[in-house]
This record gives sequence, structure tokens and C-alpha cells, in this order.
Amino acid sequence: MPGMPTEAGGAIVPFSGEAGQGAPPPPSVRHIRHGVTPPIFRVFVSWSSGNLLQVACLRQPSPEDGGGAEEVSGSVVEVNLGGGGSGRAEVEEKIDEAEMRRIEYGSLPAFALLQSRKNALAEAAAMSRVPALPEQAEWWQYVLEYSKTVGNLLGNPDSPPAFTIEDPKTILKVGEKPTSLRAAWELLEMFYVDKQLQGWLPERLVDWLADFDSLLSKKESTVYLKLSNFQKRLMKLQIVEDDPDYWNGLSAALSVGWLDIVVNMLRFHGSYQLDQMDNRETENGLVEAVAVLVSTMPRMRPDLPSGKLGQCCKTRPDFIKAWERWRGQVNKLECSAFWIQCGHQKTRDGLKNLLHIMMGNVKELTAATSHWLELFASHFLYIRPFTVGFEGMHHLAQKCIQLKPSSGTSGLTDLLIGILSENSEVVLAECTNNFGPWFVTHAMELLTADNDYADMMLHEERPNFGGISIEELHRIVYAQVLCSHSLTWQIAPTYLSSCLNQGLGLLEILLLKQPIQDNRLVLKTLEICRLYELEDVSTKIMKIAGIYHWKHGRKGAGVYWFQQAHDKVRLDRIAQQLFEHIGKSVTDDSFKQWEGLLELLGSDIGSAGGLEFLHRYRDFKRSLQQAREGRTGEAARQTVEFLIQLMRNPSTPQRFWLPLLHDAVDLLNCKPNPLLNVAETTLLLNKLQELSLAKLHPGFSSNHLPSQALNSVRLSLASNLARAILEE
Amino acid sequence: MADNPSFRRHPQPFSIDLVRWLPSSATSPSGRLLAAAVHDPSAASSDIHILSLADPSSPLASLPLPSRATALRCSPSALAAATSSGSLHLAPSSSFDAGAAVAVSGGAGFHVGPVRGLDFGGEEWVTAGEDGRIHVVGGGGDGRVVARRVWDGKGMTGYEAAKWASPAEFATGGAGCGVQWWDRRKGDAAVAQCSGIWGRGLVTGMVHSIDIHPSRKHICVVGGSSGTIFAWDLRWPQQPIPLSGIGLTTAQPLCESEVWEVLFDTYTQSSDILSSTSARLLPVMMCSEDGILAVVEQDERPLELLAESCAINSFDIDPQNPSDVVCALEWESIGILSRGRDAMAEE
Repeated sequence: MPGMPTEAGGAIVPFSGEAGQGAPPPPSVRHIRHGVTPPIFRVFVSWSSGNLLQVACLRQPSPEDGGGAEEVSGSVVEVNLGGGGSGRAEVEEKIDEAEMRRIEYGSLPAFALLQSRKNALAEAAAMSRVPALPEQAEWWQYVLEYSKTVGNLLGNPDSPPAFTIEDPKTILKVGEKPTSLRAAWELLEMFYVDKQLQGWLPERLVDWLADFDSLLSKKESTVYLKLSNFQKRLMKLQIVEDDPDYWNGLSAALSVGWLDIVVNMLRFHGSYQLDQMDNRETENGLVEAVAVLVSTMPRMRPDLPSGKLGQCCKTRPDFIKAWERWRGQVNKLECSAFWIQCGHQKTRDGLKNLLHIMMGNVKELTAATSHWLELFASHFLYIRPFTVGFEGMHHLAQKCIQLKPSSGTSGLTDLLIGILSENSEVVLAECTNNFGPWFVTHAMELLTADNDYADMMLHEERPNFGGISIEELHRIVYAQVLCSHSLTWQIAPTYLSSCLNQGLGLLEILLLKQPIQDNRLVLKTLEICRLYELEDVSTKIMKIAGIYHWKHGRKGAGVYWFQQAHDKVRLDRIAQQLFEHIGKSVTDDSFKQWEGLLELLGSDIGSAGGLEFLHRYRDFKRSLQQAREGRTGEAARQTVEFLIQLMRNPSTPQRFWLPLLHDAVDLLNCKPNPLLNVAETTLLLNKLQELSLAKLHPGFSSNHLPSQALNSVRLSLASNLARAILEE
Repeated sequence: MADNPSFRRHPQPFSIDLVRWLPSSATSPSGRLLAAAVHDPSAASSDIHILSLADPSSPLASLPLPSRATALRCSPSALAAATSSGSLHLAPSSSFDAGAAVAVSGGAGFHVGPVRGLDFGGEEWVTAGEDGRIHVVGGGGDGRVVARRVWDGKGMTGYEAAKWASPAEFATGGAGCGVQWWDRRKGDAAVAQCSGIWGRGLVTGMVHSIDIHPSRKHICVVGGSSGTIFAWDLRWPQQPIPLSGIGLTTAQPLCESEVWEVLFDTYTQSSDILSSTSARLLPVMMCSEDGILAVVEQDERPLELLAESCAINSFDIDPQNPSDVVCALEWESIGILSRGRDAMAEE
């Protein structure tokens, strides 16, 4: 769309935001160096491939400028619009683009496998018409496998740091940095897919929080932040148990169930130092007793990863038994007489506080935790270990939010609330807003794993979306993101092909828009056409490539692509051009430069159209050359055979008849015994006659032979005929 | 196969177009080295990166190129890269300093457009471009490089591959024109020609890669479109020998897409090594657009080494440790495959 530039400065088009519509974000201004001196007459803007915008700036062509060669009269500039801040929310710490592409590549095989399984199951169900219940029961396991594969791409928080010698004073282990993409993915997997662990959901949430606590908030305090701040100060502290942060950190870590950290930190206590053992014996005994209680806390979960503390109870009765015993021990220690003998006030208070947390004292738990999600987890650990069902959890979450309102919301907490409130629309919206198109596209499989409502919501075709479903819409959006980058467009077809309504149409557009300058890229595009059986598209692409190469002087490549496309029309037209050229230089040796092209046409010429003639013509010319040089009877005979073949063949253009015959005149004349028999000579004479008649036709194109050529041919044919008759 | 423990992928933040092993010298402090042609579309930059095998994540040296690399080869003394804009760049292997590199720039005097055929013949480099020109590039004696034109196809043919057989002979191949044999002692024109054999009822196809074994200089192995691999023996130029391809051999074709590169595999022992006659072809390794890395042998079932989800655009067998193979994967990563003795025993 052409636009008029303003006169002043370098600005091309003034931009005014929509007035009154709230506060529109200021438009981002990009400066373009086009090198065209103002005044600029016209500006054209169009999309190139991917994020590239082509801006063409033109000057008014003026006659006075005619001689000014230095003046640039226009230029085309490509502007890359990528790299700017995309629509990701602030909680998303910058995953750099290359890393995101790695995730995109890695998730493709898993996605494709899941889709093919889905299709296979659907087919099987359609075939047997029996409700495929056993398969239904297994479906979530397929999704779980998919979820694990994709999850691993998003970073693995469990992976141990590679071979570092750990400082005994390290509180928080430095592993791989957790990402909110991974955190969100795990939440969805936990709640929607993994049916096996459904009974242990509270403990799974506690584990999840341990992995991703650092992501909850950037500004507000979290347990993670408390501990990492304390870690920084730890080196400078002489007597740790005098520092209130030490005890705060301990209670915070205990409240969210980071038992290994608590036990490790308790061992920093001064009473463990050898020189103080004697006078702080009781104190040390109390610290150790608390440490033992912490490390033997019963937890209802199938297993404990190595390095984590607590005693693992698989069944509810086991857990209740262990829990009562353990609570009894905690109570007993709390009421113990040893506390009076403990001289250190802060230790006494701190340890008692830890015991109260273990006894499930709401006040202490609320004080120890910072974020509502931490309070939420502490409730599972110490107050309500048997919380099950979304409703109960949602209720508890609401209570925790009231106790610890957080000013800024993060995508993760919003997502969790959405999940707990069993609102698939909210979950989907949170995924879309916070985690981008890649996440939504892949997470939809998790949402629908075992949720009929979500399944229906995502797959229902909606007229307001142009008849496509929400699932298809998100896949198309993601595919568009992939298409906008020249390295990822090749994986977009997988997603487009999974869109039943509009996918194939968009795929065709995508393929036809790929650059055709580079043969290798064309072949890659054609390979995709082959995979999706888009023969029409591949033929079109070949024709486009053929025209491009032909126009740029690579005639061989042009013909090659036309041949591949079986484009008879264009090959015939090319043949006409070549005839024109060869017709002019028929006796010229420059015929040699066409050799390569003729070689290209090959010997089997079914697809080459009129170019077939050229191939035979080349053979004739070669043979004629040999006959003239060698003057052997064999070569002359061969040449005449080629001549007859050419003259018999309907694809030989009429205008070549006379030049061909003229070329052969000396062969016809030189020999004492004729090379042609009566029938052959008659054929040639007939052709000559036909030619004389055609001369009267208005469309006849004359050739560049001397005027007496016709007569000399006629004469030699006549004499040949005479000799042939005599011979016979 | 995909989870072969001896195969490692190293993700890179840009497209890896080509990879080669660099001849390793005992003095090299960083161990075995790789050269990779990389392209970053967001920065619109193309480079040759020198990587160490131990840690391919960060380049040891980088050589900028004016456009995307289309060919990359090593000689004992230099690393050469040709580009899509028709230029040739030579860097001495003693130092991969960008300043020490010499270049022949693309244009009317050299190549116009991509140069995919590039090889070192012991004395000189040969370049064959899609513009139909063939050049021989050698030292001018004073540190400069001199390019001499052997042939100008004037766009009537376009070349995609070139390979020396001896210091005087080389083979080229291209789109639709099959394979040509050039003998510099017999003038500046091709002395033999083979239009090739192609499957799927195609009359012609595109040649992507040619290899010639130093011990059997009369045989070219050729890889091209439609999964086609054939051998061309100069002694019987009219009868190319099919190795793989749709409808060419009775067996199920190994791949149906483009075969990007072929190399004689010196590591895989021919199955009947004892009774081997000179007529039998040596095993050939290939990589393809549909992600196959495999070894094919005449009249044998192919041995699939890798089946990736993305294209394998380029690969190289380490001449000094032929058990090790490096490949360039479409999804911005370098793959390194080590074929240990155990891996072979399993087969």
C-alpha cells in the first residue's frame, strides 16, 4: 500500500495512536537507512519471508536528474521485526530464541507420535465399533509418555550438577535453573495426566514447590529468597545460632518440608563444635533430637528420591500409624524437662518453634511461610495430609490467599488456581497469556488426556472462529510462529497437517511462499510436498523454480525443473526459442554451446516436448561432421539414416526441413552409388513439395538460406532418385 | 537406533549447513578439531567455525563469510569454503585467523551463484558452480591464489558436485546432466559422460555428491535425488551400477528423498573381504533429507546407523579415525557418532 511521506525529517509515515482508547502503547519506531535523498515520492511496504518487512523507497523520477548517476532513485530495505519483546508475560524469564527453537524441534517427534497414536486408536474404534475401554484406560499413559518427553526438554531440575565438590555450608543446591515453562508443564501433568500419582497429589505439590519456589515471585519474599539471602551472609557469621535469620530460615524451610535442608542447617549450630561440646551438651542433645525428628517425619508417598529425608508410607493405615507415633515423639520432646537446662535462649525458642511447626500449629506455619502457595503446601504437610479432590484444595487455596494476599500475580499461581477451580477455560487462557503458543499447542494434549469437558471445549467447531475448533486455532497460531523463522518453518507442516479444516490450505500457501532461489531449499520444500502427497503444489513449485532459473540465464536448471514438472507448454516454448537461435546459426560451430543443454534432455525424451527434435538434430549434425571429415561410407550412411528419421518425425518443425536437406546436399551428390533408395527419396521429395505449398501460407517463417538452396536440393534429390531407380 | 549411546547431539544456536573433520596434528593443543559452516538467519551472518571435539558448544575460531557456505573441504594444509555468492575462501590450517585467509571473490570473473562442487586434488582446488563454470584454483607462487577457467557451460548445465580422481582427472555432476569425467591432459572438455540412473520413472535427477576411492580411481560413487546411489565405472561407462534407489534394486529402498552426501566408508569391512575381487564395490556411507545415515554395499542389506527425525545435511568420516562420523542435523545441531568395536559386534 503506497503511503505519502511527510516532508519534515526522516519520518516516513506519522503515526497517531487511537485517541481516547485507554492508553495505547507507544508505537515502536525503527529507523531505516535507505540512502535515498529526500524528497521521497513513494513508499511501498510488503511482507517478505518470516519477520522480514520489505520497504521500498522511491524518488520521483525527474528529467533534470537524468545525468546524475550518483543519485539513487530508489532502494529496497529489509527490516527484521523479530527480536523485539514478544507478548510473553513478565514471569517468563528470557528463554533465548535458540533455546526455544531447541524445545520446538525436540517436541515435534513426541507430538507427531501422539497424534499418530490418536489417529490409530480412532481408526480402531471406528472399525470395531466397540467402545474401546481398555485402550481408553491406556490413553493417559501414552499422554504421560509424551508429557515426560516434552517435560525433559524444558530443563531437568532433578539433574545433579556435574561433578562439583559441594561446600558443606551450601544450603541450596545449585542445579539447573528452573524455568516457568517446566513448572507450568509439571503442574498440568500432575493434575491432568498422571493418574498413578493422583493419590499422592499433596506430596507432589510439595515437591513441585521445592523445585520451583524460586519462580513464585521476583519482588516478594519467598522461602527460597530467605534461604539464599541467609546463604550469602552465612560465611561472615561467627555464631549462627545468635542470628535471627538462621532460625527464620530453619522454620521457613521446615514449613515447606525441605527436610534435608533443615537437618543440614541444624548441623551448623554452634553446639556441634568440638570445643563447645562439653559445656553445651544438653543444648546439643536437643538440637540433635529435633534433627532426628525432622529426618524421620512420615510422608505419604510412593518413594523418596535419594537425598530427601523422611519415612515413606505407601498406604494410608501405615501412614496414620507412623504419623501418630511421630507426633507422640514430637509432643514428648516438647514437654521434656531438658528445655529448662538449655541455657541459650535463642536456641530454645528456635527449636520450640520448629516443634510447633511439626505439630501443625497454624499460627507458626503462617508466620514461617511467605507466599500463599508455601502456606498451602505447609497445610498439606502438617495439618491436612489427606486433602484430596479439587474442591478441597481450592477451598484451602482460597483460605491461604486470604491469609497471605500477594500483590503481584504470577502466571504459575494463576494457572494453579485455574486448575484447582476446575475451569478449563481459565487454564487455557492462563497458558495462552503466560507461556506462549508453543506451550498452549502442546499442553492441550495434557488438558484433554482424561477430561471430557476440556475435550469437548477444545474440539467443538466454532462458527465465530471460521468453523475451526479452539485446538485448531492454537495449532495454527503456533504454526504461524514457526513459519516466521527461516529455520523452523520446516516443522510447521506437522502441526498444520493436524488441523483438519484449514491446515492443508495454509500448508499449501506456506510451501508456495518458500524461496526458490536455492535448489537445495527447493528440494527440501518438495520433500515436504512428497510427504503430504501434495503433487499439485510440488508441480507448481517446480515451474516457479524453472522460470526463475530460466530468467536468470541458468537455462539448464530451468529446463531441468520444467522437465520434472512435466511442463510441456513451457518446454515447447523454450524449444521454439532454441529453434530460433539454431535456425540462425545452423552452419555455425557455436552449436557446441548447446551441447550441454541437449545432454540434459537425455535420450528418452518423452517429457521434453518439441525439444526432442533438437536431440536428433544434434545427432544428425555430429554424424554429418564425421561424414565430411572421414568420408567413410559408414558415417555417410548413418547421417542419411538420421536425416530420414528427422524428416519422418512429426515433431521436426517445418522450417528445418529445407536447411536439413540443404546440409545433406553434398552427401547426396558425392557418391557414385546413391545413399537413398527410391522410397526414401520419394519421401524427401514429398516433403519438399509440402514445403513449397506451405510457402504460400501467411504464417510461414522463412529461413536464412541462399535463394538457390531449394533448387540445389531439388536437383540433387532428382539426380539421386534417378540413380536409385537405375540401381534397383 | 535413535538412542544409540555412542551418538551425541550438540545443539547449536544457528543452522549447521556443513561439517568436516580437520586433519589433526599431534601438536594441536585442543585435540581433534571440526569445521562447521554455520548460518544465523536472525543476524544474517554466515561463518566457518572451528570447534573442538571435546566441547563443540563454543567455537575456537571463526571465519566470516560473505554469504551462506555451500561447500566445505579440507586439505592437509588448508580449509576451503565456497559460498552461495560464488566466492571461494581458503584458510591455512596452521592458523584459522580471519586475516590469514585468502579469497577469490564471486562475480563474472569467477562464479556467479552457488558453488557446490569443491575438492582438493593434491595440487589444486577444483570448483564447479550452478552457473555451469568449472575452475581450477591453485597457488600463484607468491601467496596469492589464481583461478583458471576450465569450462564455461554458460548456464546450459549447472554443477552440484566435483571430485578429483587424480591430479589430472576429476568428475563433476549436476542437475539433469548426470556425471562427467574430465581429463586435463585431453583438453578442456568432458571426456566421458553418464546420464545416470534414476528411480520413480524419472528421466533425470540431480547429482548431489560424488566420491572416488583413492585406490580405485576409475569408479565414482554418486548420490542424488529420489534416494538414488549408483556407481559409475569408467571401464563400462554405459552401465552404471545401482546401489540404492526406488525401483533400482529389488530390496526395499533405504530412503526415498534426496541423498545429500556419499563417501566411501573405510571403516565398514566388506563382508567378503577375503574373497573380494576388484570388481566388487567398497561400502559407501550416505546421509539423506529424511534423516538416514547408513552404509550401503553392493548386493547387501544396507546398515542403518542413524534414523533422525530431521534431515542430515552433511556428514564426514574422520580419515584418521574412520570409526568416528560427524554429521550436520537440520535442527541446528551437530551429531557425533562413534562406531566402537562393541557397536559393530552387535550387528
